Amino acid sequence: MEIKLEGNGLGHRYGRGRGLEPLSFALSGPGVVAVTGPNGSGKSTLLRILAGLLRPSAGASTLRVERCEFERAERRKVTGWASPDLHFYGELTVRENLEFAAEARGLTGRSVAVREVVGSVGLTSRLDDRAAALSTGMHQRLRLAFALLGSPPILLLDEPGSHLDAAGKGHLVEVLTRVRATTRVVLATNDPGERDLAEQSIALAGRGLGDTA
Amino acid sequence: MILRGLLLVWIAACIVLAFVWAPLVPVLADTTRVLYFHIPSAWVTVLALGWSMVASLLYLRTRRIEFDDHAATAAELGLLFCIAATVSGAFWAKAMWGAYWNWDPRETSIFFLLLIYVAYLALRSAIDEPTRRARLAAIYSAIAFVSVPFLMFVVPRIYFSLHPDPLINTRGKVDMDPRIRVVFYGMLLGFTALFVWLLRLRVRLLRLERARVDIAPVADRALA
Amino acid sequence: MPSRASRSLAAVWAILRKECRSEWRTRYGLNSALLFAVTALVAVSFGAGRLGDRVDVLAAMLWIVLLFATLASLSHAFVREVEGQTLSMLRRVASPTEIAIGKLLFNLLFLAVLEIVTVPLFLVLMGAPPPRWGTFLALLALGSLALAVSSTLLGALIAQSRGRGALFAGVSFPVLLPVLAAAVSGTRAQWQQLPAGGEIRLLAAYGAALMAASLLLYDHLWEE
Repeated sequence: MEIKLEGNGLGHRYGRGRGLEPLSFALSGPGVVAVTGPNGSGKSTLLRILAGLLRPSAGASTLRVERCEFERAERRKVTGWASPDLHFYGELTVRENLEFAAEARGLTGRSVAVREVVGSVGLTSRLDDRAAALSTGMHQRLRLAFALLGSPPILLLDEPGSHLDAAGKGHLVEVLTRVRATTRVVLATNDPGERDLAEQSIALAGRGLGDTA
Repeated sequence: MILRGLLLVWIAACIVLAFVWAPLVPVLADTTRVLYFHIPSAWVTVLALGWSMVASLLYLRTRRIEFDDHAATAAELGLLFCIAATVSGAFWAKAMWGAYWNWDPRETSIFFLLLIYVAYLALRSAIDEPTRRARLAAIYSAIAFVSVPFLMFVVPRIYFSLHPDPLINTRGKVDMDPRIRVVFYGMLLGFTALFVWLLRLRVRLLRLERARVDIAPVADRALA
Repeated sequence: MPSRASRSLAAVWAILRKECRSEWRTRYGLNSALLFAVTALVAVSFGAGRLGDRVDVLAAMLWIVLLFATLASLSHAFVREVEGQTLSMLRRVASPTEIAIGKLLFNLLFLAVLEIVTVPLFLVLMGAPPPRWGTFLALLALGSLALAVSSTLLGALIAQSRGRGALFAGVSFPVLLPVLAAAVSGTRAQWQQLPAGGEIRLLAAYGAALMAASLLLYDHLWEE
């Protein structure tokens, strides 16, 4: 599958002070790339921009799958995004949350897709528990399951290993190993273990938000 | 510099002429003078609102922050002129008809504009991040824009059914003596020019403030 | 391959069902809204007594209670999303328009439930004369539609600001004023055996205009 992800002078500023310094890159084809950098250097911002959730204040990004270009508004259809900012409906169960997501996105074979994705992160036993009852680690697994729903050609994972126990991390590695041949994965992380899962890496320098010099 | 001086002289002249030269309208007697301040204020209120809404739409279309500066500033100035118009109108109503407020169509309309201004500015003050503030305020402006013609349409209907004896607003029927007309239009022009001048001044200020914020960190680093 | 329209419809339906399910599980919104509406109603009844012949006051009271109930409760559909921080998830599964229409339908359902309880109670408690049902229901339906359309958009707007209930009421009021005016006027007319066609048309037109404007604006709402 032809996958192209490009950034051209991509940057974003939150009010005063920089969020993401202008960045240019070109990624093509499947594979795993790690985005690293100090806190506040804009890793999450970059992923949000690529996911179409944020309009960058500078530059532009292009996303192409099989020669089809996806504008910001359409990117949710071909990207899976998981981030610490992603939260689920506490009063609904894991199954209900994911089936709602699948239904709204128009995925066929909903319950099968949900069961599959839940199985790959090891949450099957918690399917009928309310999302509010999940521990942080289990919540993180739910985020990964959500990103994987529908097997999107592009995965944008922001600190996917955070809060995961050994079993959880095992599932993560398993998933990445399975998809790396067909999916473009962008992994934002500071964890050296996760960084090693990637073939390439993009290092974000820059002041970020924390630096008030 | 010269233009500013000219504006000052112009308005001063209008004020003097309003009191000294222009005759009184028979029906209005001594209250005639209000007309030179109240109507131009109301005019600028409407102008400011219109410009604020247009600037908001332009911001949504282009995302250029200067348009948001215009929208916000026009709203702030518009509010001031609106308060001036409402208050002067209330005093005039008291002098003419014995009551400060009657919910007659014009009073209702100006009050409604006041509400829009206040709501818009309150919304702006509740959002800290500049881009989000610009965007959400512009969206509100667009919705308010839709509501204005409908309210203008509905107001005469409710008024006439609630107050069966129509208090005819004589302002519209004033047969203007040429001298009155001169001062009136002069004042109208003066107020408009005042608004435009204040608008441009403040927009420039906002732009400079933004530039300073951008340069500051770089300058600090250079000096360090 | 399902068409784009039917996929959108499916998304809207999914959102509506999710809203209903969430509401049912927590029941927080509906309970407090009903409580508020009934409290307001009881307060009015207690204070004013039976107003059988004063149809002008009756019409005003009915719509004031409905307006207040709307202002007190319809913002929560989005506020809940912001507080639960689930907006990001929602934006990942559906387009802004689909989200908006889903929420709108939910708000309409919500208002309908509120009115089924409140309106008969009002008619009984206040000793209102029997309404001309066709006209009365048309005014209720169209007025509620306009209330819901406005509240859905403005609720989404203020959910992204620091403001909450008070700001929601403040920004909604100017936009809802035409609805209040037309609805009160029409409701009074139908009790006076007068035609209310003009008011009905105005409510329909305003609702449609607000809807059209909203649909154009929703894409800008969550762009961040």
